[in-house]
Formats: sequence, C-alpha cells, structure tokens
Amino acid sequence: MTSNEAMVSGRGVSQEENPYKITKKDLIRSSLNVGALGMEFSWTYYKQMNLAFCLMVAGMLKKIYHGRPDDYAAALHRHAAFFNITVQFAPFVGGIAMAMEERVARGEIEPESVNDVKAALMGPLSGIGDAIFLTTIRVIAAAVGISLCQAGNAAGPIVFLLIYNIPAFWLRVWGVQKGYSMGVSFLEKASENGLMTKVMAAIGIVGAMVIGGMTKDMFWATIPVQIGEAVKGKDPTTIQSVLDGIMPGIVGMCAFWIYYWLLSKKINPMWLILGTMVLGVVGAFFGFLG
Amino acid sequence: MLVKAILISLVAAFAMFDYQLGTLYAFRPIVTCPLVGLILGNLPAGLAIGASLELLFMGNISIGAYVPPDEKVGSILACAFAITLGKGTEAALALAMPIATISLAISNVINGLMPVIVDKADVAAAKGDLKGVYAAHWAIGLVGVVKDVLLVGFAYYLGANAVQGILDWIPSFIMDGFGIAANILPAMGFAMLGRLVLKREVMPFFFLGFLLASYMNVPSLGVALIAIIIGIEKFGLLNPQANTDSPQLAAEGDDDDDF
Repeated sequence: MTSNEAMVSGRGVSQEENPYKITKKDLIRSSLNVGALGMEFSWTYYKQMNLAFCLMVAGMLKKIYHGRPDDYAAALHRHAAFFNITVQFAPFVGGIAMAMEERVARGEIEPESVNDVKAALMGPLSGIGDAIFLTTIRVIAAAVGISLCQAGNAAGPIVFLLIYNIPAFWLRVWGVQKGYSMGVSFLEKASENGLMTKVMAAIGIVGAMVIGGMTKDMFWATIPVQIGEAVKGKDPTTIQSVLDGIMPGIVGMCAFWIYYWLLSKKINPMWLILGTMVLGVVGAFFGFLG
Repeated sequence: MLVKAILISLVAAFAMFDYQLGTLYAFRPIVTCPLVGLILGNLPAGLAIGASLELLFMGNISIGAYVPPDEKVGSILACAFAITLGKGTEAALALAMPIATISLAISNVINGLMPVIVDKADVAAAKGDLKGVYAAHWAIGLVGVVKDVLLVGFAYYLGANAVQGILDWIPSFIMDGFGIAANILPAMGFAMLGRLVLKREVMPFFFLGFLLASYMNVPSLGVALIAIIIGIEKFGLLNPQANTDSPQLAAEGDDDDDF
C-alpha cells in the first residue's frame, strides 16, 4: 500500500516539476551506450562484466540520486559488482535494476535487494539468451552466410551480421523498456505459469532441428570406393553413391556422432583435428577417401 | 609485406574492438577472413577460407564462463598465411586451431593482471568517480586490442618464411590428405556445438531436422521456421492462459457443461 502511494505521488511530481524521472529516452540511450555495447570489452575472469554494467546504468543512477552524491557513489559501487549475462539481455536487467533503484532512493526497499535480483537473473537469462542467440540465431545466420560465401558471394559476411544483429539490437532496446516498466513482477509472472521454462524448451527444439538439418552437409569428402564391375558409359557405383541413395547425408550424420562420442570422452579437439588429418592422409594414400 | 602486416593487424584490432560495438560477432572467421582476402587481393580465397573456418569453429563459443581457444587470431593469421603462401583452405585449417590455442594461452597470462585494474575501478566507483570506471573499462579492453594487434602483426611479418618452410617441406600427398581432413572437420565443429545443445528430450527433433534436409532438401532457414512452429504448438505458447489449467481440470469442466 505504502509503495503504491509513494509511486502515485512520485508520478504526480514528475509531471509538473521532476526533471529527474527516468524517461523512455534515458532507457533507450542506456541500452546503446558504451557500457551496454561494451559488455565483453572489459570482460575479466575476475568480475566479468561488472565495469560495463556499471557504465551502462551510471547515467540513470546520477538522475535517480541527483543532489545526493553519497547515495550516488554507493549505487555506483553497488553496480560495479560481479555481473555476467548473455550480452543482449544486459539492458533488460539494467531496466529492472533501475526500477528497483528508484524504490531504493525513496527508501522503500533495501539497497542489497537490487544486486540479489541481478544475481538471481544471471543464470536463467543467460540460459535463455545463449540458447536464443549463440546456438540458434547464430547458427542460422552462419548457415545462410556460409552458403553465400561458398558460392563466392561477398554478401555472405554482411548477411551473417544482419541476421544475427537485428534481433540482438531489437532485444536491447525493447528489453530495457520492458524491464523498467514491469520490474521484478514480470519475472514472478513468467515463472509462475512456467512460461520461461516453456519458451526455453521451444528454443531448444529450434536449436536441435537447425543443427540436425545442417549435419547433412557437414561431410564434404567423398568415399570413392567402387562396388562391383565398372559398366561402360555409366557412373561407377561407389560406397558413397549407395549410401546417398539410401539416405542423403548419412555419412555426415555418422561423422557427427563419431566426433560427438569422442568429445563426450573428454578428448581434446586438437587431438581430433590431428587424428582427422592422419585419417585424411591415409585415406588419400590408399584411395578410400577423396 | 610490412604494409600488409599492418593492414592485417588492423583486422585483428577491428575483431577485438567488436566487443565494444556490441559483440556483433564480426570477429568470427566468416567476417575477418574475407577482409584478410580483400587486403591480400584474393577475396574469393578469403570467402572460401572464411566459410570453412567458420564451420570448424562452430562449437567454439563462450557459453557461461567457458573461454574457448581464440578463433579471432587463429583464423586471421591462418587465413593470411594460407593466402600469402598460395595455399588453399587445407593449409588454413591445419594452422588455425594451433594458433588459436597459443593466442588463448597468451591472453590468459595477460588476464592474470586484470584484477588489479578492476580493483582500482572498484575504489573509484565507491567514491562516485565515474571517470575512474571508464578508464578501467577502456584500459582492459585496449590491452586486449594491443595484444592482438602485436601478436598478429609480428607473427605475420616474421613468421611467413617459417610457415612457408614447413608447408613446402610437407610432401604433396600429405597436403592432399589435409585437404580431405578439411572437408571432414566441419562435422567436428558441429559435434562440439551438439555437445552444448543436444539434450535427450530434443534428440527426436535433431533427427527431424536432419530428415527434412536429407529427403526434402529443406534449407537451414526453412528448418528453423518449421521448428519455431513446432515449438509454439508443442508448448501452447500462443495461449499461455489456457495452458496454466492442467488438461485434466479442463476435461472435467467440459463434462460439467455437458450435464
């Protein structure tokens, strides 16, 4: 009740004389500033994205704690704590944190709760974020870009960057506003009806299907071993052509699972690369690979 | 040679600076190798090598706090050496992963010093000194940029002869074998990605994606769009309200209506 009253009175003031209210412009600017875009620029093993997060929200903190330099310094210090997330979600967390900081400034909640919420968001949001961006959109973008590059088309890199980054920047700008306006309540709601879990499961399906689809074309070598007598005027029947007749891309699928199994045995990829090179040399020498 | 070395080290600077531009993924081989190709006057080779290295490094991504081998420096240098020495994709693939691993090792040594700067920024923040935090941010980032620029510049300028010697010394049938390996290794890049993504409950969909591509020739984007529809349908994402009620309760409700 008290928090509602305070919010109403705060709003009343803002309309007339409070130039220190966080505006939509502040939020959007913060989602595209040096800190928001440089999340991984000053990344360290030690506190990871802490400096960039602090820089992202510093402008808004200055507004919230105008005329209160000690509180501003404390808030700045608060947001220089350990932070790590899928970068595109950082402005969303920044929005939530600023909604909370306004309540801290009014003395409604404890300052420590802001970092508690930030810490609680890191794991789940990184899980969703990595699934959306790194293992789904990036793979689709790379698939399209690579096929253009292989055709010698210089648009390949550009298309790759556009497919990956248009959703990324949209999420930054939308996320910071959504985070600020809904605050912590969004997360309570989302986890209440299990929406978060469902969205993650759905994204998992997209990632798995895309990787499955691309596995078909992951083996470009050929197995030119002939079966039976060569017939004049006809392409010779090879192991490769028989396998492709049964299921196109089955060789790539097999190679995928062999590597998958070896990797699950914790074998270093360096050894797998060396082993593949030896296999290639032996295969070229005896003619069972081409 | 010197001019080329400087230009290629600028590609490395751009790749590292990508982390300040919003992690656009412009540091990936699919972007940097064509740039290297452009500098060395062989864009088609840059595009081809970029595509192959992108596949090799497909599973080479930073998830959580895991830091993978440095594909930035690895692919820029490997591509530059391969094009300069007139070798193809197979040479680039042979060089990329070893260089990436060395570069990561160097970064790890440098990163050991970073906590000093981070702690300085912490003190500055506690005093409300925003400039101090900015200084630390730029200092840490630019150390990374400088490291990559020097590593790529010097390695390219000084190492080309040594790499040439090694590649010339290797008999041609072995290079043919490397070429074959280059055509198999994308499967490993994908297996690394698969290790990160594939859980038991999504396995059927992995195979569904494969079958769509295999028998129906659906391109990757098409597979992705079909997958989105399946995901929405399977979890009722368009109607979350109805989904909060358990199916059993809904069925009972229907029975009541019938009576």
